[in-house]
Amino acid sequence: MKKPRGGAGLNVRKFGLSYWVAVGVLALLVASPFLSRILVYPRTEFFTELYILDANHKAENYPFNITRNQNYSVYLDIGNHLGYCAYYMVQVKFRNQTQLAPTSFGPIENRSPSSLPSLFNITAFVADEAVWELPLTFSFDYVLDESLSRVDFSGLRLNGVWLNMTGYTAAWDSEKSEYQGFLFFELWLYNASANVFQYNGRFVSLRFNMTGA
Amino acid sequence: MARLTVGFAVFFVSVLFAVFVFGRPFLVFASSEADARSAIVAAENRVFECYRALSDAEMAGANVTGLLVKLNDAGALLSKADLAYAEGNFDSAVAFAVQSSSALDGFVEEASVLKEAAAQQNYLDFMVNFVGSGVGAACVLAGGFALWTFSKKREKAKGRGWVER
Repeated sequence: MKKPRGGAGLNVRKFGLSYWVAVGVLALLVASPFLSRILVYPRTEFFTELYILDANHKAENYPFNITRNQNYSVYLDIGNHLGYCAYYMVQVKFRNQTQLAPTSFGPIENRSPSSLPSLFNITAFVADEAVWELPLTFSFDYVLDESLSRVDFSGLRLNGVWLNMTGYTAAWDSEKSEYQGFLFFELWLYNASANVFQYNGRFVSLRFNMTGA
Repeated sequence: MARLTVGFAVFFVSVLFAVFVFGRPFLVFASSEADARSAIVAAENRVFECYRALSDAEMAGANVTGLLVKLNDAGALLSKADLAYAEGNFDSAVAFAVQSSSALDGFVEEASVLKEAAAQQNYLDFMVNFVGSGVGAACVLAGGFALWTFSKKREKAKGRGWVER
C-alpha cells in the first residue's frame, strides 16, 4: 500500500475555484482605495443656480402687492456647480413694464444684461457644490400720482441700505390694472483670466404691483 | 517793546496749542473723490489678490471655509464703499474701502499655509491610498499565485514520493 511522503500541510489546490475567489475578493478589498480614484465618472456639467425663495424658504408666496414703506422679505440663493470657488456679483436693478429685461435664453455668450444702472452690487464668494444664501428685506418709498396715473419712486431700502431711485417711474397698466414694477437680480461671474466680471446669463425677477395703500 | 513781543509770541503759541488740543476733532480733512476712488481700487485689487490665493488653496484641496467667510465680509464692505462713492459720500467710501482691505490682513499668508498643508496631505494620501493600495493588491495576487504554484509543486513532489509499505 502506498502512502504520500511528508506531513499533511495545506493543499490549496484542493479548494480550486473557492481559493481564487477568496484571493480575488481580498485583492479587490486592498485595491478599493486605488480603484475609487481611477474609476470616477468625470463631471460634465458645470453651471450656476440662481433663485429666490419667499420668507418661508418656499417658491410660493412671493411679495406682489406692495405697500409704501412696508418691509418685505425674500431669500436670494446662488448654487455653485462650476468645479471651483467662484466670485459672483449680483446687480440689483429695477425696471418698469416698458423697460427691457436682461436675456436668459440661448448660448450664454449671446445673452445680454439690462442696460439699466445697478442700484446696488452684492458680492458673493461661493465654494464649489455649495449654496450661498442672503436674506433680503426691502421696502419701497414712492408717491402714487393718480392724476398722471404714475408712480414716482424716491428710494428702495434694501437690508438697511438706502438706494436712491429718483427718476424711476411706473405707469398704470390698464390691461393688468396695476402699477407694475420689477425688482430683478442679475448674476455676474468674475473671470480671473480677463480680470473682469461677465454677465452669467441668469437673472431672477420679482414682479410688483405698487398700491396706493 | 521786547516784553510786548515776547508776550505776543507766548499768546500766539498758546492759541495754537489750544486749537491743536481742543479743536483737533473739528479739524476734519474731507476725502476727495480721487482719494475715495483710489481707496476703492486698492480694496478691489486686494480682494482679487485674496480670491486668487483662495482659489489656489482650494485647488490644492484645502478647506477654505474660514477664508470664504473673511472674503465675503470684505466683499460686503467693498459693496458699501462703491455705493457710498456713487452717492458722493467720499468719506464713507474711503472708510468702507479701508475696512475692506484691513479685513483681509494676513489672508494671503493664511491661504498659502493651508495650501502647503493640503499639498502635503495630498502627497501622503496619494502614497498610501493610491500607490500603497495598488501595490498591496498586486502583492495579494502575486502571493495567491505563488501559494498556488507552491501547492502544485508540493503535490507533484508528494506524487513522486509514494512509499511502499
